[in-house]
Amino acid sequence: MKYIEKLAKIDRRIIYLILFLTVLLPYLFKISLPMKPLPEVVQAYREIDRLPAGSVVMISIDYDAASMPEVQPMLYAILRHCFSKDLKIIMLGHWPLGIPLGIAALEDVAKEYGKKYGEDYVFLGYRPGVAAVMINMGKEIRSVFREDYWGTPLDSLPMMRNVHTYDDIAILVGFEAGSTGDYWVQYAQARYNQKIILGGTAVVAPDWYPYLQSRQIVGLIGGLRGAADYENLVHHKALAYYGMTPQAAVHILIVIFIILGNIGYLALRRRK
Amino acid sequence: MKREVPIAITFISGVLLVIAFFIPHEPFGSLEQRFNDWYIIVSGFALILGIDSLLLHHWNKVSRRSKDWFHSLSLIIAFFVTLIWGFYSGIKTGHFLSAQSTFRQYFYMYVFVPLQATMFSLLAFFIASAAYRAFRADRFEAALLLFSAGIVMLGRVPLGNAVAPYMVGLVFLIFAYLLYSDGRKEVDPTRRYLKIGGAVLSLILIYPVGWFFLHYTAQTAGWIMNIPQLAAKRGIFVGIALGGIAMSLRIILGIEKTYLR
Amino acid sequence: MAQVFWTWVAAFLTLAIFSFLYKDNPFYKFAEHIYVGSSAAFWFVYLWYFDIKPKLIDGWRYNTGFEKYILIIPAVLSIFMLMRFIRPLAWLSRWAIAFTVGMAAGLGITAALQGYLVPQIQATFLPLWVSKGSFWHSLGISINNFVLVLGTIVTIFYFYFSKEHKGTLGALSRAGIVFIMVAFGASFGYTVMARISLLIGRVYFLIHDWLHIV
Repeated sequence: MKYIEKLAKIDRRIIYLILFLTVLLPYLFKISLPMKPLPEVVQAYREIDRLPAGSVVMISIDYDAASMPEVQPMLYAILRHCFSKDLKIIMLGHWPLGIPLGIAALEDVAKEYGKKYGEDYVFLGYRPGVAAVMINMGKEIRSVFREDYWGTPLDSLPMMRNVHTYDDIAILVGFEAGSTGDYWVQYAQARYNQKIILGGTAVVAPDWYPYLQSRQIVGLIGGLRGAADYENLVHHKALAYYGMTPQAAVHILIVIFIILGNIGYLALRRRK
Repeated sequence: MKREVPIAITFISGVLLVIAFFIPHEPFGSLEQRFNDWYIIVSGFALILGIDSLLLHHWNKVSRRSKDWFHSLSLIIAFFVTLIWGFYSGIKTGHFLSAQSTFRQYFYMYVFVPLQATMFSLLAFFIASAAYRAFRADRFEAALLLFSAGIVMLGRVPLGNAVAPYMVGLVFLIFAYLLYSDGRKEVDPTRRYLKIGGAVLSLILIYPVGWFFLHYTAQTAGWIMNIPQLAAKRGIFVGIALGGIAMSLRIILGIEKTYLR
Repeated sequence: MAQVFWTWVAAFLTLAIFSFLYKDNPFYKFAEHIYVGSSAAFWFVYLWYFDIKPKLIDGWRYNTGFEKYILIIPAVLSIFMLMRFIRPLAWLSRWAIAFTVGMAAGLGITAALQGYLVPQIQATFLPLWVSKGSFWHSLGISINNFVLVLGTIVTIFYFYFSKEHKGTLGALSRAGIVFIMVAFGASFGYTVMARISLLIGRVYFLIHDWLHIV
């Protein structure tokens, strides 16, 4: 019993070190493990996959660097999917501190696929007021964004000429780290019947399952696992996919921690 | 003036939006759009309300040379460097976040992103430590929560199916040991045999339960997310939505005035 | 060259924050204060580029007549908002706050009704017996539907505080707690997943971008 009691009093820094090594080692040995994509991610993939070329997809950047490792890979995977299918992208965002992450990804992937600004993709930027922005865009996008991010009037951009409201947008993909996804559903979907896919951190994703079942959203990409699944589906395995191995190792470690912690606790309680 | 006008403004703006929702025709439709537009402008300013107290607080620390004043000074310097760099890049390249802007290329990507991302990644360590020290299955509810968490954690990663049987088996083994050692001390013979019987049953169950999780951990995690988790979240959010409506009505009607303090 | 320099800066800041795990120290404090200071400044830059300039200044420049002069109202409200910084005029900021609060309340009512309550309750009206494919398949779907409907109802009962939880209501709310615990467990599992992913991101930065090991 002595060992078990010692186990219960282990220094937290030893736990930190074990955690750090558990993340590091799978990377060093380059292990990757197969996974079957989750149905909610496959659903999102199919919704985008069946859009005819030239359809407009709106992407919203509602996260920042604090959740970049989870959400950024999703954004890359979806952008690759859209550009490979010749879909057009309008990007905007509601989280100012994350906006540059969105532009960086958009410029990267556009370059990869040889896409031209103004013809294949447009960046609108940010306006404060979340709900008000969403509602007014349902009436006329220009009432919120007279110009794009660089100050060019929207009508001078060829791909924006026929895009005025949500009616001209095939699917909206929200990348979320907070409650903005709920706003998208409650304003853009409920009022204007906009088709929505939500992708976001594993913290917010569980709250969206009710929307998925009520068909208020047509796809859900949650956490690193969701991102890895999407990378898998577009046959471009990258950060998220290879991150799933350390992820798996740490999940196992945490479950072991919970069990060991409880054994130590029980041992101490019995002693008393 | 100081109290009545704000209450009137709240009432008018709130009621207008509700009316415009039910009667989206003129003049309400365009009024709603205009109010939304004003809201977009004004709410931007609300975002910076907290900043003055932040700067003031740290400036006081610096001027009084109180403990850690040096850090307060670095906060103030960081504030102005960011501000000036942002505007400088904006003037030079047309937009502070343009591809050529050094603000975006260097400050944002190599200072801001690492700081924010690392700050939040510390939580991984704290949650691991909490898993070890704080998550005690000492009541039925707590055990249920941890069990559901464990299955979801293992079911959502590769290797989950292969590992879960061992984890579940270990839990059953501990459970059997607890029942057995409790049973041995029991004086009442019926309870004694019930507990020892329970311990034996737990041992026997390890095999079928282990077999189940060997094949169905991932599916079980999916089922938890899509059925019971969904149901509870829906119930909770229906409650929150009802509460939100009640609160909004109280604000619009001027019953709730705490925001005017 | 600049790239290398800035990567080292990023690595230094990353390690400075990680050093907190050993114990609180000046490096961590320094990094933390820089983070707070620069994110505060960020909001100012944003306010200018995404709010004041496009909405107010450009609006004033490019609009004419009524559309131009009506902008005075939001401009005045915005200035009122900043009056909070000037003690004797601080009460004016309440006008602006009242406007944003009223708007949020008005928007909130319709969103909760149309965006959550109606569609979510509608989606809970599921058939309790579904006949689709084989008997076992039908049974599976039917059980799932039943659990979903039951879970939603008992969770709502758990949060019904207007009456003491005794008798039938007590039984329902006890069933509610079972569902709530399973949901919290699932959310907790997902939260662990999220936090670990963030660490993975930072470790990858250190070994890939900085040290080039992988």
